[in-house]
Amino acid sequence: MATERGTIESFGHVSRTAGTVFRYLLLAATLFGIVALTVLLIYVANDAIRPLTADPGWHLTFLLTLVLPTLAVGAYLFRTDPASFRFGGAIVGTLAVSTMFAGGVAMLFVDIVEPVTWFAYVLALCLALGGVVVIERLDRRLPFLVRFVAAGVIVLVSLLVVPGAVTSLPVYPSDGVLLTLSVGAPIALVVGRYVAAADGRRRRVAAVVATLVVVGLGAFVGPLVGVTPVPATVVLAVAVVPTGGYAIGRIRRNPERRAGLGLAAVILGGTVVGAVAVDALGFAGPQSWVDWGFLTSAHSGTAANAGLYPAIGGSILLMVTVAALSFPLGVGAAVYLEEYAPDNRLTRFIDVNISNLAGVPSVVYGLLGLGVFVTYLGQSTGTVLIGGATLALLILPIVIISAREALRSVPDSMRQASYGMGATRWQTIKNVVLPRAFPGILTGTILALGRAIGETAPLIMIGAPNVLFSLPTALSSKVSAMPLQVYAWASLFASEPFYQAAVPAGVVVLLIVLLSMNSIAIVLRNKYQSDQ
Amino acid sequence: MSTDDLTQDLTRRTENAPQELLTRSFFFLCAVLSIVTTLSIIVLLTTEAAKFFSVTAPLMGVEGPTASVVDFLTGTEWVINNEQFGVLPLVSATLAITIGSAVVSLPLGVATAIYLSEYATPRARSLLKPALEVLAGVPTVVYGFFAVVYITPALKTIIPNLGTFNMLSASIVVGIMIIPMVASISEDAMSAVPDSLRQAGYGMGATKFDVSVGIVVPASLSGIFSSFILALSRAIGETMAVTVAAGSQANLLNPLNPASYLEGALPMTAAMVNLLTGDITGGGIAYRSLFAIGLTLFVITLVMNIISDLVAQRYREEY
Amino acid sequence: MTDNQKQEYAADESTDDPTTDDMAIRTDVSESVSASGPTTSGAPVVRAENVDVWYNDDQALQDISLEIPENQVTAMIGPSGCGKSTFLRCINRMNDMIDAARVEGDLHLRGKNVYDDDVDPVALRRRVGMVFQSPNPFPKSIYDNVAYGLKIQNKDGDYDEIVENSLKRAALWDEVKDQLDTSGLDLSGGQQQRLCIARAIAPDPEVILMDEPASALDPVATSKIEDLISELAEEYTVVIVTHNMQQAARISNKTAVFLTGGELVEFDDTEKIFENPDSQRVEDYITGKFG
Repeated sequence: MATERGTIESFGHVSRTAGTVFRYLLLAATLFGIVALTVLLIYVANDAIRPLTADPGWHLTFLLTLVLPTLAVGAYLFRTDPASFRFGGAIVGTLAVSTMFAGGVAMLFVDIVEPVTWFAYVLALCLALGGVVVIERLDRRLPFLVRFVAAGVIVLVSLLVVPGAVTSLPVYPSDGVLLTLSVGAPIALVVGRYVAAADGRRRRVAAVVATLVVVGLGAFVGPLVGVTPVPATVVLAVAVVPTGGYAIGRIRRNPERRAGLGLAAVILGGTVVGAVAVDALGFAGPQSWVDWGFLTSAHSGTAANAGLYPAIGGSILLMVTVAALSFPLGVGAAVYLEEYAPDNRLTRFIDVNISNLAGVPSVVYGLLGLGVFVTYLGQSTGTVLIGGATLALLILPIVIISAREALRSVPDSMRQASYGMGATRWQTIKNVVLPRAFPGILTGTILALGRAIGETAPLIMIGAPNVLFSLPTALSSKVSAMPLQVYAWASLFASEPFYQAAVPAGVVVLLIVLLSMNSIAIVLRNKYQSDQ
Repeated sequence: MSTDDLTQDLTRRTENAPQELLTRSFFFLCAVLSIVTTLSIIVLLTTEAAKFFSVTAPLMGVEGPTASVVDFLTGTEWVINNEQFGVLPLVSATLAITIGSAVVSLPLGVATAIYLSEYATPRARSLLKPALEVLAGVPTVVYGFFAVVYITPALKTIIPNLGTFNMLSASIVVGIMIIPMVASISEDAMSAVPDSLRQAGYGMGATKFDVSVGIVVPASLSGIFSSFILALSRAIGETMAVTVAAGSQANLLNPLNPASYLEGALPMTAAMVNLLTGDITGGGIAYRSLFAIGLTLFVITLVMNIISDLVAQRYREEY
Repeated sequence: MTDNQKQEYAADESTDDPTTDDMAIRTDVSESVSASGPTTSGAPVVRAENVDVWYNDDQALQDISLEIPENQVTAMIGPSGCGKSTFLRCINRMNDMIDAARVEGDLHLRGKNVYDDDVDPVALRRRVGMVFQSPNPFPKSIYDNVAYGLKIQNKDGDYDEIVENSLKRAALWDEVKDQLDTSGLDLSGGQQQRLCIARAIAPDPEVILMDEPASALDPVATSKIEDLISELAEEYTVVIVTHNMQQAARISNKTAVFLTGGELVEFDDTEKIFENPDSQRVEDYITGKFG
């Protein structure tokens, strides 16, 4: 058919109006939940911290010393040198998160575990590990079973005898010294490992000594300047050393980012200068409900005096128990399913079963804990152990699923290389697969732990008390937890004062803990994804 | 080298060396633990629930008060003190929460999924996805508190006769909570749609809107559907938000009537928490009623999860 | 092949007196060396008899029979999909890892059929090292990469010395001797592949299998690897799969030509294959008429 085929003047135009409207609708929908939550968070933070109750001079002082300098330096760096900007932010973030973590650890040593008991167990563990290594080194030709039994005997003996022996000594060093050795030394070894990997073995010794000296400052110099040695040692070991180590290591590798230090200095310096200034000028800060008293006192019938201390301690203990139970079991199951399991019906059944367990409501897990641990095994209700065990069962499917993903992301060429060298399955898993998958497994476990410490229903089901006045000190003590305390305030003590004061404060503390756990996990994941 | 030595060397079985056996058995036991957990849940819930019902209690050798199955399933009153165990009010409240949260989360979740999979730049995705994860990471008790203290008063300015505890704000927070679940599973399904289909659409002169709505969404329908079921099963099992926000008064309501959302009610999960917050003795009828509701809840969510799994398998097979 | 390294393969549970073991092997080795002579045409180390391989119902190799001589480089060439890599992976039973793969026929390593039921593939792989197509060092330090085989096999001896010697034999020592603690992944592609070769030779295997070891490398790195392979043949039996005919011609003593369908068309001295092949199909393939 002969149509006229001249030159084309124009292709015409297809309307995009509907598409553009649609696009913005979608964006609005995406942002809806995020914005709603942000608004709610602002409200609750306002109720808990009450920034408007502060003296205007207080705001002005901090505006001048902290906010404006930070904005100025931050904006400059962000435009000219984004890498340094991120580095500076990372230092401050690391310091904040690790200080919080150090607070939790310090709480453990002040109220839950005697430093000397901790020291004794660390010593016992070191002796046990040392014994096992010596046996392995001494004679590899001994049959495995002989070595296994010998190692078992050494581990048992040191774990059973050493702690008792150490704690019954008539005289032992001060708590600060004990913690320097038992908390500082392991951290020094970790630092040394990183330094050895980055800078060679020669610098390792220097790094280990430097770490011990810094931590020792808390123990020896702390008392002289009027700081309690236990918290000082812990903060130095768990917050200052890791942050400093991170900053120094990064600068050695990327000296061009040292401008980031300036940003960190402006933020930290501004905080200190601001605090000194408002004190000197007599400006009152906000009458925040989240204050030292709230963090360190127990529940009270009046909202203004109620505190979260036992619940924080309970959450920490629960987290430790849950991690200790769910990590090995979850990773073990994931390793079996990814590395061993033949493709048969049992495997497929386990597979389907795990994804279904992930969808079982948390109250049902609570019932499981109640029925199995309390009614059938006769444990008393509401203890750390059964609370931890119930929450561990609850997050186990999540840990397994995320650990499987991490294992699956280990390239097959690594396994091939190892099997090609004549490694057995376990050798391949231990030496190649697990180390490579570890960051991913850790990320998934942290996220799952975050889920566990936000759970309330299972704890109610197993009979955890709504009100607890002292920290749990053993696995068999009754336990409370932050969300449980918040629930108790919001329901059993439901009244305006609690809604206005204690509950928002509890919510803010809980969310800060959870959001920092989430951000640690996300940072880890991003770093690990960009590494691969 | 003689063949004998070689044979001896090559035929050492490392596979069954003690450390291999030990580690393999440990890993296997870890995997089997999941089956043990499921079995324990099923056995525990069914035996305890059996002790609750008049029909089965004699078989379990239980004496004392029991409840009839018919009364449990058709009764319209839930009053523990009167030993009136009619589950319908609880089910109606759970259903109301489910429908209410679905109205919030399904459209928003799917829209989010389309935006993330088709429109968002990689940078926007890397910011939005963690932010959405936070929505799911906030503890549910906190959502309950938000509903009572901030959302209800705000809604009261629009709807003056809204109760202090009501299903409306409970549904809204549960809906917000499950948006990320709908979004992430639907987005997975949309990402699984092969690019060649999109290319074919653009090649025909379709706009991005045409491609997203006309090609990607229909192609990923089974995935979207699977995300709906899973998210709703999460809403049904959701406990603390509704316990705090929906009140503690059992109340038979019509989930399809918008007016019934203005008052409070007692969903199944909240009823379980309330039972335990009150003082109940192990082995009593109230204690056993807990397991009867638990069993109902477990069966509903299990069936929904399985359906969602089957539907999801379909979309995985398609591409 | 040093004697003290020979004594301990997979010997976790061995309670035998090491001295007598050692002496027994020492005699065996000297006999075997005197019988063959290292440089002239060696005795067969690997002998395949009627090997067939299936992946599910697809036959990947048909009735392969050949003998691989000691201390020489044997090349396997052929178009892609001809089964040359499959055959290589039969020798150390890496095919066991693929569920769908099924091997029939006999494949002897120094007279022992490696597909006998009583053979442990793990023990076999400790005697037959392998270098893969793309470099796959572990995300560990250079030292730990090379010492990996020694550690998993619980070998005795001075690891520092063995690591140094292996890196020297892999022509990598001078480049990395100051950075043994840094990650193997920080090396360039060619260095990584030489690291993988050092890793393969450190436990002193009898045979080294190489699956297109230079295909992912640039020409300079490739020529280094080729020089290295020729040197390795003084001490090891090397079997190399390559798709590059010039490479086979440059470095191998013997060449096996596989053609589509998984059949071994011709196996002979490399010179003969490239200058005067018996088979017309091989000549067509070599001259590029058919690929």
